[in-house]
Amino acid sequence: MSSATVFAELVAASNYSFLRGASHPGEMVAQAAALGMTGIGIADRNTVAGVVRAHVALRDLRCEPGGATSGFRLVVGARLVFIDGTPDIVVYPATRHGWGRLTRLLTLGNRRAVKGDCILGLPDLLDHVDDLLLIAMGGDAKLLRVLNEASPGATWLGVTMPRSGKDARHLAGSQALAAEARVPLLATNDALYARPDAHALHDIVTCIREGVTIQSAGKRLAANAERHLKAPGEMARLFRSCPEAIPATQDLLSRIAFTLDDLRYEYPHEPVPEGWEPQGWLEHLVTSAAQAKFPDGLPPRYRETLAEEFGLIRSRNYACYFLTVHDIVRHARSLDPPILCQGRGSAANSLVCYLLGVTPIDPVEEKLLFSRFLSEERDEPPDIDVDFEHERREEIMQYVYARYGRERAGIAATVIHYRPRSTIREVGKALGLTEDITARLAGTIWGHWGDDVPDTRLTEAGFDPANPEIARLRTLAERLLTFPRHLSQHVGGFVLTEGRLDELVPIHNAAMPDRTFIEWDKDDIDALGLMKVDVLALGMLTAIRKSFDLMRQHGLGDFVLATVPREDPATYAMLQKGDSIGAFQVESRAQIAMLPRMKPACLYDLVIQVAIVRPGPIQGGMVHPYLRRRNGEEAVDLPGSRDNPDELREVLQKTLGVPLFQEQAMKLAIVAAGFTPAEADGLRRAMATFRNPGTIHRYRQQLIDGMVMRGYQPAFAERCFEQIKGFGEYGFPESHAQAFAWLAYVSSWLKCHYPAVFTCALLNSQPMGFYAPAQLVRDAREHGVEARPIDVNASNWDNTLEGKQALRLGLRQIGGFREEWAKALGAARKQAPIATMEDAARRAGLPARALHLLADADALGSLGQNRREAGWEARRVPPAQLPLFAYALAPELGKEPDAALPRITPSEDVVADYQTQRLSLRGHPMQFLRDSFAVQGVVDCASANAARDGAQVRVAGIVLIRQRPGKGNAIFITIEDETGIVNALLWTRDLERQRRVVMAARLMVIQGEIQRSKEGVIHLIVVSVADASDMLTRLTDTSHMPLDPLPMKGDEVRHAVHPRSSQSAHRHPRNLRILPRSRDFH
Amino acid sequence: MGNALRLMAVDGAAHALGLAPGMALADARARCPALMTLPVDPEADARELARLISAMARFTPMVSADPPNGIILDITGCAHLFGGEAGLVRQAVALAAYTCRPALADNAAAARALARHGGRNTNVRVLPVAALDLPDEALAALRRAGLHTIGDLARRPMQPLAARFGAETVLKLRHILGEVASPIAPHRTLPPNRLEARLTEPVIRTEDALEVIEDLLVQAAREMEARKLGGRRFVATFCRSDNARRRLMVETGHPVRDPAIVLRLLRERIETLADPLDPGFGFDTIGLTIPRAEPLPSRQIGLGDEQEEGADSLAALIDRLGVRLGTDRVRRIVPCDRHLPERAQALEPAMSTQTGIWPVAEHPPRPPMMFDPPQPIEVIAEVPDGPPHRFRWRCKLHEVRLYEGPERIAAEWWRRKGGEGARKAGLTRDYYRIEDACGRRYWIFRHGLYDETPQPRWYLHGLFA
Repeated sequence: MSSATVFAELVAASNYSFLRGASHPGEMVAQAAALGMTGIGIADRNTVAGVVRAHVALRDLRCEPGGATSGFRLVVGARLVFIDGTPDIVVYPATRHGWGRLTRLLTLGNRRAVKGDCILGLPDLLDHVDDLLLIAMGGDAKLLRVLNEASPGATWLGVTMPRSGKDARHLAGSQALAAEARVPLLATNDALYARPDAHALHDIVTCIREGVTIQSAGKRLAANAERHLKAPGEMARLFRSCPEAIPATQDLLSRIAFTLDDLRYEYPHEPVPEGWEPQGWLEHLVTSAAQAKFPDGLPPRYRETLAEEFGLIRSRNYACYFLTVHDIVRHARSLDPPILCQGRGSAANSLVCYLLGVTPIDPVEEKLLFSRFLSEERDEPPDIDVDFEHERREEIMQYVYARYGRERAGIAATVIHYRPRSTIREVGKALGLTEDITARLAGTIWGHWGDDVPDTRLTEAGFDPANPEIARLRTLAERLLTFPRHLSQHVGGFVLTEGRLDELVPIHNAAMPDRTFIEWDKDDIDALGLMKVDVLALGMLTAIRKSFDLMRQHGLGDFVLATVPREDPATYAMLQKGDSIGAFQVESRAQIAMLPRMKPACLYDLVIQVAIVRPGPIQGGMVHPYLRRRNGEEAVDLPGSRDNPDELREVLQKTLGVPLFQEQAMKLAIVAAGFTPAEADGLRRAMATFRNPGTIHRYRQQLIDGMVMRGYQPAFAERCFEQIKGFGEYGFPESHAQAFAWLAYVSSWLKCHYPAVFTCALLNSQPMGFYAPAQLVRDAREHGVEARPIDVNASNWDNTLEGKQALRLGLRQIGGFREEWAKALGAARKQAPIATMEDAARRAGLPARALHLLADADALGSLGQNRREAGWEARRVPPAQLPLFAYALAPELGKEPDAALPRITPSEDVVADYQTQRLSLRGHPMQFLRDSFAVQGVVDCASANAARDGAQVRVAGIVLIRQRPGKGNAIFITIEDETGIVNALLWTRDLERQRRVVMAARLMVIQGEIQRSKEGVIHLIVVSVADASDMLTRLTDTSHMPLDPLPMKGDEVRHAVHPRSSQSAHRHPRNLRILPRSRDFH
Repeated sequence: MGNALRLMAVDGAAHALGLAPGMALADARARCPALMTLPVDPEADARELARLISAMARFTPMVSADPPNGIILDITGCAHLFGGEAGLVRQAVALAAYTCRPALADNAAAARALARHGGRNTNVRVLPVAALDLPDEALAALRRAGLHTIGDLARRPMQPLAARFGAETVLKLRHILGEVASPIAPHRTLPPNRLEARLTEPVIRTEDALEVIEDLLVQAAREMEARKLGGRRFVATFCRSDNARRRLMVETGHPVRDPAIVLRLLRERIETLADPLDPGFGFDTIGLTIPRAEPLPSRQIGLGDEQEEGADSLAALIDRLGVRLGTDRVRRIVPCDRHLPERAQALEPAMSTQTGIWPVAEHPPRPPMMFDPPQPIEVIAEVPDGPPHRFRWRCKLHEVRLYEGPERIAAEWWRRKGGEGARKAGLTRDYYRIEDACGRRYWIFRHGLYDETPQPRWYLHGLFA
């Protein structure tokens, strides 16, 4: 056992061999290096999804001080698992060409399979065997001969010593086989995890894979914990009787010249016209745009910035990237009608992007820095995300495929990690815990925990954290939480190449037809310096575009995103009142509550507003300091280091000393804590992808020590770190906030000046945003918009504008109605107005279902029929007959005895409105209950909101929203009645007492205390809650007596109340769903 | 329902909390985190309903199921036997021992509607239209038309109703209103396998009594063959003329109906009785019941299938031994799917188990019988996991000449508190097959690796024949 044993583990799987490997790629690399191996080969099952992580881990390892990794090598390949019974073969590309063969081979297998599988046979390998080194993990002489013939001198037979009891026999057999086939033996441990202590976790993932519990898994589990990485000396001892198998690993390693750094990336050349160099073309485009924008010549500041940016782009060779983004944006705008789009991301801070029209934000004006700290020091491509109208993004994606070809364009993968809920469920199931316990545990998780499971969560669920079963579940779930689960496609990140994409990375079929995605996610793509363009969908862009269209149609002006009047005081005045329902980003309850405090008066205030009212900054405790400083109640205190007391001024001045954006965090780390740009970038990564192992905690000490050493107070340093950590998860780079703030401004401007237009566009873009149509329409009516009901003779599919201030509801508001019916109706109306229901059925060819829906939605008002009469008549047409016969019969339906239906009551009408359209223009269900509430001393929302600070009130309303944001100390409930809404706040400590009522009530009576902030934000602090949902049944079922409660006796599960009938099996006894569901947390 | 788990049924306490069937489990838990749930088992529900129907036969022969959870009793002419209608209802509810919602009406459809939709109402006309069991769409249409109760419908002409909701709706309505008869199809339970011979002359000799039993067995075999059944439990009852009675029971591992087999088992049973069968003044009634029967298709008479006969004769042997020694004492070794050798097999009562399929051994051979507990031995072996050279067992020294191993088997970490932690899983074993100088083969193991414990002990776990 000499320390000089030279060995490399070449058959090592990572946890990207999903549910088989039990260690991260980085852990495998680190452990192999620590054990003194000369190298490691990462080969996952039919995939190379994990190899970039291993590559990055090794790169980081080399950066670390004392990383004695000189000479340690990582080779990357895949373990091919065949469907034709061939034993597994581990393959390593020896050259860049070989890598291309491997990725094409895997692509071939992936594309044959439905999602997630890879179907390969031995002949496929033989077709792609150039420059591949093969390790057969078993097999007979015939197979080895075939392999050796296909790839002479590049085949090994892998042998293991798994301590199965028959190792010696097996080894002797392999030796004979190798001699016969003339292939060398190669020693390996076929490792599945880095250290033996991963054994338990490996057993658990085996159970999850097999769908069994640990108690019943039996021999599906590994018999022992031997498949970890073993030190070279130990391997030499195990292979005493076959010593030549150890140096064989070195032979193989030395044959591999390829590393992932060899993947040279070339930008596609499509956007550059013949005869132009990319840089020249870019400069030409930008300069012409600049001339158009500044006909009198570029101001000096702009000229300087532009020159600097051009220099940077040239030195990094990024011209093609900007041209590609420009090409996509240009295409979107060239369509008829054009697709609205807007860029954001680090590179979107650039003047180049502004001049090319990719972004609407003038970086010189807004003093944005072209990501000096993001791009200059690290060799990473720029990042631009482009948002498109959500209804039309697919057109852009298909354009990208068409322009660059499917073999050159693919969507990036997203590595789906285990989520706390599913992890608890699956690990619990594998440990044999009942669904009941795991569901209870999983059910207590609000949002997610980050990367650990705090005791309080367990105690909250009624479990003792010290209980061994629970402790075990928690330990294992915490470890599994960091694991990748499967690959999925990224929402819209395209990777484009000049050469074949499938020779760069394997391609998979996505779940959607006509979509393919590559095996690497955005971090991998970043790490290898590949280029990605994010083509994202944004609902608000659709709504804004529809608004602009409507304005144009109705002569209200002709605008595009960039030409909306800036810094409009009326718009800010509206926002300062918290009047922002429907506006982008600032419409949530927390935002509305913040608006009167922030009093935004310029675009940059909106930028901060958008960035600050997010879970991260709220949890990081940044909101209140910022507000106090903004209102002048607290001095802007910017501590400095001993040498330069002003050094933070530049970094934090804009945000009054509170770090709000990613860029600021990085700059803070560099300026105040002496980070190198690479370290700061590591910090950024840790913030952005907090799930990645080796997380942010590593940087904590460094940051605090660094700051203290340079003369900052430890408390200040600690606070800075907490703030950075707090917003890391949800943090915005400044350019994102800028882009969002601009859309927030544009949408607010529309809302302020053209409420009818804006509401109409919002309704036509549903589902999107925070509020249901009912609240949007109500808000519009409060702003003087006349809303007109759906009518078969006036409504189109979409909601429409009648005149300039009237909104006609469209047929799309009717739940279940179809667009083609609406079109047919429109066509029929062109000839002559619809006169009768039979007319609608016959001329528009509407089926019975459409007529029922129209009648129930009371859309036949212009025919002189109310809802009840129309519904009764609509159902008379025999439903199950051929239309021909139906027409033939229709006139003969003739007379029938008068059913003498009872007259419809207003409350029934309102309820039916809600049931069919989720809104009512007639009234609010609460108004019919007002009298009975008034008798009980329950006030309406308007009175509650008008009450003085500290007043005790009881108020009732329909529950719109239940939320438990952030850390979950408080639950926000929004209730609504005919006079408005009340925002109530319930402390979590008071929840348990009345949990059922809080969670179940659809109509809630809240008793509490009115709290008014000095900015006029009103909250009702809940003391107690009562469920008055039963009152809702009174609105319709007036004539039928409610059921008595059942005489229940048992509290055993055995005494069960069954559904009352099979048909109502999924309905509540109060089965009339009178109102749309509230938006709730779980 | 989709991916969401839903509540299928709730008990009284849950109902009182506002939970209801159809609700998503996640919603229910958000309201009531301490909710206890059991997976739905429709088959068990159906079985339980069938059992209740059988039980209800004591009130009336006309009982029929109203799945999934109702029972309809036609009590015409029966009520007076149970203290009137109210008394019958009370007794029936008590017998069911469930939360019940009883209702009485002139016809089955009305009773059903009242039970399912009526609360404490007795008048079908105030029932909601939901009692018609129409699709949700139709119910919504009726409500939209302002027609909420059965009475609302009954007051109006039927023709418009039929034109909109179909003739069957009108028929249902008429059933409930009692305008059209709604008969039930009663459930019939098969009589149990019970045979009895009343003898004019009491038999004194046991042998004669057994002949009577044989006759009964032949008769039972015919009936069972017709129903494709075989008995698993046979009870013979011997009633003496002085009213003393004696019951003898035999069980078999497989369903049988061959009288000879059962008779032989009964003879065995009688022979092994500690308290012999005493005919006294003779048995005047001899009964045979077969309380447990299972499907047994008739089999083609064999053309010499030895294997089957072998299995049959082994089964017969197990039955006979079981009768003599007690069924619990006749056991066989069955394989278990585990790595640890002592858990990889188990002894189970032979009568209730099938011959297990022993897995094709992936691991090296193991001895069929193992020492329990393993016997400690002293071993001289190479460290860390080299072969043993010699060992001492029962004071005798054995030289190891040949060995194979180690076969490494990890402890079952999940059975230990904290076993999922590093080095907490328990001791790993290394098994070796060894042969000593005399050619005897042993199966020994070292309990613990050297990095788990400083001084691992060795044990002998079995001998190879």
